[in-house]
Amino acid sequence: MRISSTKSRFLAVISATALVATVVIATPARAAAVGPICDKKVPVQTCQGTTSDGAPYVMMVPANFNGTVAMYSHGYRYNIDLPAGMLPSVPAGYKVTNTPEPIPGGNPTIANYFLGNGMAIMGSGFSRQGWNLDAAVATNVELVGAFKTAFPTTKKVLAWGSSLGGIITQTLAEKYPTLVDAVAPLCMADNIGPELTAAGDVLWGIKTFFDPTIKGGNYSPGAAGNAEAIGDIVKVLTVLGSLKNSVSTGAWPATSSATGKALEAAGVPSRSALLLVGLMAGLPTQSDHFDSISGPDGALKLTFPLAVSPALAVLENAASAAVLAILATQDVELQVGGAVYDNTKTDYSARVEDSAVIYNAALSGNTAIAAMLGALNPANPGAPRAKGNPDAMAKMSKMAATTAKINVPTIMMTGVADPITPAGATQRVIDAYAAQLVAERDAAIAAAKKSREYKAPTKKLVVLWSVTPKAYTTFDSAGSPITTTPAAPGTNHCTFTTANYLTVAKMMVSAGTTGKFPTGGAIATAARKSGGLSVDKNFRAPLLKYYNEQ
Amino acid sequence: MTRMNRRTLISASAVLAVAALTAATVPAQAAEVGVTSSEIKLGMTLPMTGTASPGYNKIPGAMKAYFDYLNANGGVNGRKITLKVEDDQYVPTQAVAKTNKLILQDKVMALISPLGTANNKAVAASVNPARRGVPVLFVNTGFSGFADTKKYPTTYTILPSYIMEAKIMAEYIKDNFAGKTLGLVYQDDDFGTDALKGFASAGINFAVKVPYASGSQSAATAAGWVTKLSAAKADVVILFGVSSATAAGLGTAAALKYAPQWILGSVGGDATTIKAAGVPAGVLYNAVGASFAPATTDMTDEYVKLFSDIYAKAVPGSAFDNNVLIGMNSAFVAAQAIKAAGTNPTRKSLMAAIESKGASFASAALLPLNYSKTSHVGYNGYWFGKYSPAGDLKPVDGKYVLYTTDSGSGAVVKSTWKRPAMPAKGLPQ
Repeated sequence: MRISSTKSRFLAVISATALVATVVIATPARAAAVGPICDKKVPVQTCQGTTSDGAPYVMMVPANFNGTVAMYSHGYRYNIDLPAGMLPSVPAGYKVTNTPEPIPGGNPTIANYFLGNGMAIMGSGFSRQGWNLDAAVATNVELVGAFKTAFPTTKKVLAWGSSLGGIITQTLAEKYPTLVDAVAPLCMADNIGPELTAAGDVLWGIKTFFDPTIKGGNYSPGAAGNAEAIGDIVKVLTVLGSLKNSVSTGAWPATSSATGKALEAAGVPSRSALLLVGLMAGLPTQSDHFDSISGPDGALKLTFPLAVSPALAVLENAASAAVLAILATQDVELQVGGAVYDNTKTDYSARVEDSAVIYNAALSGNTAIAAMLGALNPANPGAPRAKGNPDAMAKMSKMAATTAKINVPTIMMTGVADPITPAGATQRVIDAYAAQLVAERDAAIAAAKKSREYKAPTKKLVVLWSVTPKAYTTFDSAGSPITTTPAAPGTNHCTFTTANYLTVAKMMVSAGTTGKFPTGGAIATAARKSGGLSVDKNFRAPLLKYYNEQ
Repeated sequence: MTRMNRRTLISASAVLAVAALTAATVPAQAAEVGVTSSEIKLGMTLPMTGTASPGYNKIPGAMKAYFDYLNANGGVNGRKITLKVEDDQYVPTQAVAKTNKLILQDKVMALISPLGTANNKAVAASVNPARRGVPVLFVNTGFSGFADTKKYPTTYTILPSYIMEAKIMAEYIKDNFAGKTLGLVYQDDDFGTDALKGFASAGINFAVKVPYASGSQSAATAAGWVTKLSAAKADVVILFGVSSATAAGLGTAAALKYAPQWILGSVGGDATTIKAAGVPAGVLYNAVGASFAPATTDMTDEYVKLFSDIYAKAVPGSAFDNNVLIGMNSAFVAAQAIKAAGTNPTRKSLMAAIESKGASFASAALLPLNYSKTSHVGYNGYWFGKYSPAGDLKPVDGKYVLYTTDSGSGAVVKSTWKRPAMPAKGLPQ
């Protein structure tokens, strides 16, 4: 990417480190707000402070501030410490942090786009980690107020965020539409109920088939619960490792339940059982390295994508999602006082009615499918269902949630095979907006009958799908799949390029300034140039499975 | 905001009126995806390579042969029909990717003859042609579910359903093999499930039923089938799978000296495919097979004669078999549908034409098409025959006896329908 001399000047002063600033001003919760305290530096001054709930924040404001500020909300951060060596992704362990993040991942190029064009950026680290939608929205409202007070020339406020930050952004725009001029919820999480249902289904399926000692929820309060959750993470990852090693043989892990062992004796491969769990929960069948399309040259050219690759994709996705599934479940249980996952009424057969046809071969045929679904039947004492705590579930249902109403120009960007915040969360917004637009048009027609003047409602939603390449699984000379390459676009969680983020940022700035989007053709061109994005209006992602039961 | 006041509306009306006048005086311009003034683009997915491809991979060549013949004779209302073909290897996820390419990149007007139950279901769920308004013409699967016009409103079946086939086959078994020990080998998916439903509704009991997962068919797995069938002492065995499964079953059984009376389902009963897989014609001899089209060796049939001549010129040296005949027939029916859709066909007018006029379209089949506003069902019956020493399926005693039924609880009855004469030169009229 070409950088102008002016922009280079900003790059020189803004490092990635600065953008995930180590700004932690210790303030007790519900104390008075502190700051912002600005360093007055030129060309960009950095201001730090905390909101009244103790959430640290950072603002970065260029000397030529033009009145537009972009507020970023970061994604989910675990709310308990994790020991070193437990997770390959964080070998040194994880410590809970509320470091502010004013730009996605501290990306200096994205920061430079805003700052170099006279716009400010800001973001909070929030007062608590874990699922914090209620608190984060309140923090952001306060943060916008603090910014406007500190910089009275502010004219436009843009809000964007990723994952949990995506739903924070969407909820903010729903509840406070006059506070923001345009928003961009990216790889947006769904509401907590659907998200934890998906998480619970994965955990329950793995527990029921492969290791009945996994708790999968209903964790104890306090340190004991932390230990149980960490224990579950270790067990789930161990099961997934075992399944990976036995993909070709179909052998079941030694820890498998009696139900699992009976299926193994009946000739059902473990990979088919894992795939069924993934389909039941709604995990994508494409992952970082498995496209469910490609096969190695030779005898496995057809059978690999037909019979094996979908299971490997689910395995890879489950490994990505498992830690968050466990820790988010534990976190929300702590907040509401009991177990929130309940599958006593879930009809898993109905859930996989279509996908069992599509992945029939990988599930080893209808006979195996019937055996597995029969084993998961509530009547089987070897597959006990999980029962939630009614009071806790009632409390969870009262936590902040989106209705998916679109009040201001909104740009969404989502990976079509994101296993953590499924594309279906974005689809729900699309569906709701389609209904909203119809209602707005009806209202406009009704108004026109009285005024004799028709004012067409303005289109307020653009969705950019981050799509997977046509085929991307690669194989070594022995025909084994290569899994050391970076995750393919559209897979894993929020796997966007800098160019993708900049495309969204520019659309958000434009829409925030003008109040509307450019033409569909211009948006399609921008998406194409960005690489890996599609604006296909007819693409439809499956909703989260939770909605099947509503 | 877009504002449109009364004056603007009046102006717009005037523009439209002028446009309408202009339209009446200039040649019609096509405005539908995949339709230009000189071309109509169709697209299909099927296994051109891989385990399930033998036999089916001749269908695109057959369809192109007919379309080339049609184009050489003026096309349809002056437009040539072109066919884009994508290899899905019989893998549903491939079918999704390739169908997306056909619709979004190649911009075909309609999909035609996509093959495979799971593949079509995957495409319906992921690509959603119905939501896009894309017609899915004459799917190459007999899964009964695709006739559900609410679930698949733009899909049109052409093959009799597997339920119909099983019900009719059951009648044949009752008439010819009463009291025999029956065995069944079937594809363990919706293809096979349909067959099981049909046999069950007809009251057929099998001594042994052997499912195989799609894609698992091979000589090794077929040896397992034979073990189970012979252990059950099955003396009449139905092979209800794809051609590669039929070939694996027949070839392995012959090698193991297991020789029951074979009955082959229509999907897997193409003799040239089976023989090409190495099964000697002698193994096929006297096996029972089913078809809704005339025997491919029946040169007294005007369609067989014309289509085989066209195919021989287009693909010299390639055998004219059932896959070829069915492929050319689907192309012929599609041409009539496009013709009936008007001088400037659209996706909507194409589907409307099938629903209003499809039941009267000419075709090579010995049964009528059953299209209407409420029915997307194509053919609904079969005749049974036996394979000759050369491996050709021929009607018993040289006479086609057609049976017809539905996918529900309707009875199996003899058909009295007489096929009308072929339109001149086999072209849409």
